[in-house]
Amino acid sequence: MASAMTDIANADVRVDVNDIEKSLSELWRGQKDGDDAVTRAALWNVVAHTSTSEFHATASETLGRASASVPQRTIVVRSNPAAEAELSSWISANCHLIGDGKQVCSEEINLVAGGDRIHRVPPVVNALLIPDMPVAFWWLGDLPNEHEDYVELLLESADKLIVDSVHFDSPADLALVARIAEQTSTSPADLNWGRLEEWRAATASIFDPPDMRSRLSTIRRVRVIAGSSNHEFFGESIESLLYASWLSAQAGHNVESSGAVEGVAGTIDYTFERRYQSNDVGAISLVEISFEDGAVASIARDRERGVLVANVDGSVTVQSVTRTLNQRLDELIVRQLKRSEGDKVLRRVLPIALKLAKRVG
Amino acid sequence: MSVVAPAIDANPLREGLEQERVPDASCLVIFGASGDLTQRKLIPALYSLAHDGLLPAGQTIVGYARPDYTDDAFRMAMREACDKFARVRPVDDAVWDNFAKGLFYVKGEFAEPDGILRLNAKLKECDQTRGTGGRRIYYLAVPPNFFPVIAELLGREKMVTDPEQGGPFTRVIIEKPFGHDLASAKELNKVAVTTFRERQVFRIDHYLGKETVQNLLVLRFANGIFEPFWNRQYIDHVQVTVAESIGVEKRGPYFETAGISRDIIQNHMLQLVSLIGMEPPVAFEADAVRDEKVKVLRALREFPRGHEIDAAVRGQYTDGSVLGEKAIAYRKEVNVDPHSNVETYAALKIFVDNWRWADVPFYIRAGKRLPKRVTDISIHFRPAPYPLFNKLTNVTMQPNVLAIRIQPDEGISLKFDSKVPGPTVRTAPVTMEFRYATSFGAEPPEAYERLLLETMLGDSTLFARRDEVETAWAWLDPLLNAWGADPRGPELYPAGTWGPEAADRLIERDGRKWRRP
Repeated sequence: MASAMTDIANADVRVDVNDIEKSLSELWRGQKDGDDAVTRAALWNVVAHTSTSEFHATASETLGRASASVPQRTIVVRSNPAAEAELSSWISANCHLIGDGKQVCSEEINLVAGGDRIHRVPPVVNALLIPDMPVAFWWLGDLPNEHEDYVELLLESADKLIVDSVHFDSPADLALVARIAEQTSTSPADLNWGRLEEWRAATASIFDPPDMRSRLSTIRRVRVIAGSSNHEFFGESIESLLYASWLSAQAGHNVESSGAVEGVAGTIDYTFERRYQSNDVGAISLVEISFEDGAVASIARDRERGVLVANVDGSVTVQSVTRTLNQRLDELIVRQLKRSEGDKVLRRVLPIALKLAKRVG
Repeated sequence: MSVVAPAIDANPLREGLEQERVPDASCLVIFGASGDLTQRKLIPALYSLAHDGLLPAGQTIVGYARPDYTDDAFRMAMREACDKFARVRPVDDAVWDNFAKGLFYVKGEFAEPDGILRLNAKLKECDQTRGTGGRRIYYLAVPPNFFPVIAELLGREKMVTDPEQGGPFTRVIIEKPFGHDLASAKELNKVAVTTFRERQVFRIDHYLGKETVQNLLVLRFANGIFEPFWNRQYIDHVQVTVAESIGVEKRGPYFETAGISRDIIQNHMLQLVSLIGMEPPVAFEADAVRDEKVKVLRALREFPRGHEIDAAVRGQYTDGSVLGEKAIAYRKEVNVDPHSNVETYAALKIFVDNWRWADVPFYIRAGKRLPKRVTDISIHFRPAPYPLFNKLTNVTMQPNVLAIRIQPDEGISLKFDSKVPGPTVRTAPVTMEFRYATSFGAEPPEAYERLLLETMLGDSTLFARRDEVETAWAWLDPLLNAWGADPRGPELYPAGTWGPEAADRLIERDGRKWRRP
């Protein structure tokens, strides 16, 4: 069996679209009972939807790596209505050593659809989902503003919709995700929100000491500085926007539809600044939170040491250090898949982000 | 629109984060900071918590022991310990630097009042500089005979406070052994509650910090399919094996006074039995869980008076080989009496006399120098009521077995029969298997990480309560006394085997056999 798995893991095998399940069964049939060198495992169905060969390659590579941490049936779809009419499929296995010569393998199915054949994609994908197992749908690239039926059919069985808002070109995309969160049972997940986790943890650490918690209601100003490419692209602002929206939501601030923010102590001034940098475009580099008494808490990225350092001037609270997380795509995906439940906080944050988007220049 | 200030009893910014529960910063004092436990387990566990963002800024650790260290020398020694033993390696310099700022050392004898005064002064200083607010956790990584004197000094110097009396929290962590028998356990507990309230006492049984042990509760009470079958109607018997391939190593003096029964059975194994046998708790809260566990211990059938040793087997390893390497006899180990009758193996057939488990035997065994290191629980179900397929094929149907592997290669498997493909009806046992490593990949946290964090958070669910400890001793004492009075001593078994032959007879006379774990 190990050799059969190695063969299939090394090369995609082209199979007939109607025979995908049968071909997958044959893949495993060679394994002898009691032979525990190869274990087939899946905790999720993960469907990646792409429209270009570059995104397709990214999705396949990313999910292949992610399957080491979260075994999954991976289905990568490349769908392009403008391409030549076709529907073809390949299968392969993602195998990872777990020690003692043992491997965990999960399956990957690739579908390429073009022209009017793209309409076969939703039923084919739905038929390939492993029953009783959650479905995550990862949409690569900007969200579609057309082919609504197609998208709806695809998302019908999705428990989780994963997007990366860094690719969003307008608040309308954010609004679409917020609408899905509000109107469907599909939970939204945003890789950009995942990138914020370390900033949330570092900020939370400031307010962990019991005597600091009450100061949440005395925040008067929040300043968020992020990297910029000097292009006016909306996606570059979203990390800052989500951060500020999260702070408002959790601190109990009231955000008006105009984007004005009110707290217990009065109006809170939110400012978003961009500083040119060639890499980590859109990523936050510094946050400052000013309080009513003039004290300032700061959280700064120390890139060299790989940590975020949080300090409050004039406080006995000692400096806190939060290790930065790996921001590789597969790590971000894994973090999303390790949480089977929906993200209540993100659901709360999205409508606020839409309001605060008005303050982003 | 009016704006309502958020409640301040919990940090709302923690909601939804991986690190949703972070304790308030405190001073954690390790008595016995120069010992093996501190270097191998405690500091590496604390560092790993810091690495994962689970310690609050300001968390302070003060080592207290006899050797003459400076703070910096202590930090260096602890860094070396983390380099060797931390779960997360290599050690992250940035995280370590910040963690090390909270490491301090005070030199002192355990029974030295001046030493305790110096310690108190250091703790008060940390309250000022590190925001620990008078919160204290005392970890007694010391032999049990030092516990009374340390407790007395802490009480005398007013170093124990209680939120119920308006002060910051104080908690004390005690390592096993919790006594040597019922009388000494009661004495220890009496001393503990003279200075501390029971809710301030955290008795560590590191088995309870293991993910798979905690998963026993999830397996049983988060799934609808198991509980209906989890009783005498469907279960034939239960086996629990705690096997170690190592001998006593450097622990000869301790083991000579303890034996495997006090070292493993009185605590780890009875904890496992109580988790398997308990009724659903009304809530997943410390006392609710422990109330149900202690009921199981109370229901353990007493050993028959005058015939205690008939229900048990004790053994001691002799020369042999384990995993192909020569192993010397227990009596030849360093600091072990060459005529010792201490048991390095014990097997017991026990019963939980209640409605759920009446007449279902629990066969439990623990031993050193067995063929491999494994801790395993297996639930053996009754066979199908009518042998439909046996009649056709003359094949003996195998009973279903649910096996829970606690360590290593943690997981759960279910064995059942399946039809072998073909024109004739032939059956064969197959296994459905779940493994932590396969499904969840990441290495689970060390038991000490979990238990230290729970102590900081003040949750004692995973710690043994006074009545659990005393009930376990009360049940085991008669057997230990009977063994002590029995001149025959333990049956010998070669190192590298599964124990004495009498252990096989113990189960085989019931028409059953030990499962190969």
